[in-house]
Amino acid sequence: MLLQINHLQKTPAANAAHDVIDALLSLLEAGQLEAGQLARLRVQLDWIQYRNNFRESVMAVPCGNSPEVSIAALDLHVNTRQFGKDSLQAEILDAISGCKENGTQHAARIPLEEFCSFHSSIAWEFNRLYWHRLADWERATGRGYEQALPGGKSDAHHPEAIADGVADFWTLLKDMEHHNQLPAEIFVLEIGVGLGKRAALWLDRFQELDQQRGTSYYPRLKFLLGDYSLATLERSRPALQKHAELCSFVVLDALNPIRSLSFLRHKLLHIHLTNVYDNLPDEELARRDGRLYLVQVRAYLPKAEAERICKNAEVSLGELHRNVNRLLEIGPDFFASRSQGVVFWQEVWKGLRLEERLVSLEELPAETLPEGLGLARMEEVLRNAPSDVRFHLSTGAIESLRNTLPLLRPRGYLQVQDIFVTDLNDYRTGFYGPGKVDGSIVNWVNGVLLREVAERAGYDLHFAPFHYRPGSHTSVLYTTQRE
Amino acid sequence: MTLPILPTSVVGSYSMPGWLERLKTEYHARRISKQDLDEIHDTAVKAAIKDQEVAGIDIITDGELRRDNMIDYFVERLPGVQFDRSSKKFYYDFYDCEVLGKLPSGPLGLTGDFRFLKANTERETKICITGPHSLSKRIRNKHYPSEEAFAMDLARVINQELKDLVKAGATRIQIDEPYFSGFPEDLGWGVAALNELVAGVNAFVGVHICYGNRYGKPAWEGSYRYLFPKILDAKVQQVTMEFARRGGEDLDLFREFSAPFEVGVGVIDVKTQAVETPELVAERIRKALEFIPKERVVVLPDCGCLHLPRNVAFAKLSAMVEGAKLVRKELGN
Repeated sequence: MLLQINHLQKTPAANAAHDVIDALLSLLEAGQLEAGQLARLRVQLDWIQYRNNFRESVMAVPCGNSPEVSIAALDLHVNTRQFGKDSLQAEILDAISGCKENGTQHAARIPLEEFCSFHSSIAWEFNRLYWHRLADWERATGRGYEQALPGGKSDAHHPEAIADGVADFWTLLKDMEHHNQLPAEIFVLEIGVGLGKRAALWLDRFQELDQQRGTSYYPRLKFLLGDYSLATLERSRPALQKHAELCSFVVLDALNPIRSLSFLRHKLLHIHLTNVYDNLPDEELARRDGRLYLVQVRAYLPKAEAERICKNAEVSLGELHRNVNRLLEIGPDFFASRSQGVVFWQEVWKGLRLEERLVSLEELPAETLPEGLGLARMEEVLRNAPSDVRFHLSTGAIESLRNTLPLLRPRGYLQVQDIFVTDLNDYRTGFYGPGKVDGSIVNWVNGVLLREVAERAGYDLHFAPFHYRPGSHTSVLYTTQRE
Repeated sequence: MTLPILPTSVVGSYSMPGWLERLKTEYHARRISKQDLDEIHDTAVKAAIKDQEVAGIDIITDGELRRDNMIDYFVERLPGVQFDRSSKKFYYDFYDCEVLGKLPSGPLGLTGDFRFLKANTERETKICITGPHSLSKRIRNKHYPSEEAFAMDLARVINQELKDLVKAGATRIQIDEPYFSGFPEDLGWGVAALNELVAGVNAFVGVHICYGNRYGKPAWEGSYRYLFPKILDAKVQQVTMEFARRGGEDLDLFREFSAPFEVGVGVIDVKTQAVETPELVAERIRKALEFIPKERVVVLPDCGCLHLPRNVAFAKLSAMVEGAKLVRKELGN
């Protein structure tokens, strides 16, 4: 058995390790765990979680497709901050026995889909619903989504950060003007507009600086606000009233901005995104004994939870799956009253869990990996990475990046404020999602893979810590043109 | 060999297959031998030649598939230029390179490439050479008093290679100088270095000037107006430029300045995978004919097809050939 211990401050790791080993040996002595199984266990402590997450405190993940649990290797993840010492043995047994017949249903779980890549899971349908019906969710909870963020507010609006960003951009424009390179129209794009606060602050500051320095760049600005939710764009409009003449509101998919803006290929001088990549569909890979595996997931509700939700919603357990699908297709209006629908939505989301299994990449189609990052490239990237590592593929962020960079004009740059993992070694010592933030998903973004993809597209990526708020996990990614 | 009116050609590079990219990178990581790589290059070049022939191109190149990029192929061959082989992570990266003393004269070995091309086609051929201005922008100068002096000496060394190519049978040579567009302030000495490069070279010589195609994206933006009138001093017979992606706004410069050159008109946008229709190509050629006499127009893509997938590059070249045929027909040819 392999035991991986992540050292976390304030976590009684020694006690937890003792408890887990004690529980496993007790199961072995009681004949509930075979010696061969134990030998092939890979136990990870601490399996750190976001406070709101998709996982049980003890979770077993089969590795490979063998139906025999005694043959298959198992990853056993234990969240030492959540497990109960008294119930640990039962939780481990439950987790391991749940993997006995690979792919079949665990007796105490109601599955909501078949095993699939996380990228394709209905969890992301819930995420999509949240952004499209944000007002309904907020009405029900009585608080705005920014209040649900860790710290209760977004780093997107930090005035100093915005002022520095504007100053950098102004400097670029001035230099371009000096070299006779400044175009007549200065295109700027912000993707993921929120309430429009950041865009408004940015434009206020730009206008102010432009006036102070007498450069007359402001009237040449064409500021595009892009979001995939028309409702969100509409909500952002009032904040930008003062700059209405410069602003255009564009419905676009952050995964593929150039599809909506192909007429601006090579025309944009600045593109900004805050906390968009961490909310794009993602999936994970794991490297075990030199082989790469895709982490497949299956969304489920614990049976007791499902029964309670169904009782409250006055639907039968057999109707649960259909009701969830209708909710995701139509929204909460599918129910007799919208408020009843929102309650059902919030309860299902709260109870939603993901079980996992590892499937060898060799058994999956080549398209499993994102475009621009084939298996040969991936192996090259992992050449100097830890031999046993589980990491985000950041499929959505990579897709977005690839489909955003062609919009940049020579000397133009992309700036992304988000939560990034910039060294694959960090995946050995920390946990980076997925987690639940209100009705949406949060996932850290694999900056190492983004950097690789960007290089082949002709850009170097740089990550700078967001130093404007002490303790912030945010980094700022920015591009420079690669020679 | 008689060429039709509005002959078609390529700017230089052909689509770089993904497998060849990986093998080149393997070579740099010392995981395959030079001998193996040479054989792989020969095979890839033959395929590129065949694709150009089947597409119907009149004047073809070897696709430049032996080259990692437009700079390093020369860096590796220029006597006296120091470079760090380990400075590449990916084959397409530039070497970290510098010149520490006066460049000695010596062959660059391009005649072998040319002979291979000639041995494998009956078509009219062209060989492309990176110009001294562009090379001087990428090789760190630690010896010469100025970039201009360095470029002039580069021209001196490469000039001999051009003469060797002519002796080997080369009749068409293209000098690539995209860095002119990034450094318009250098144009005066850039043209002087170009003239030094082609002095006494008994071949049809063109110069290709675009706005960059590194990683399949433009490196600079602006107007070709910066070239005029200084470019008129260039002792070349042809100038090729990109007009597909950027539009034909600058074509009027050739009329305004009575430029005497044959003009290679870029009618294929190599920075997008969308394949042009022959009708669109024909429209772009007709636009060029409003400003340049038909006897002086050559039809080309904007730049090399290096970054396009093979099927897209082939489809674009085929559309270009068909578009040229449409206009020839209208002209009664």
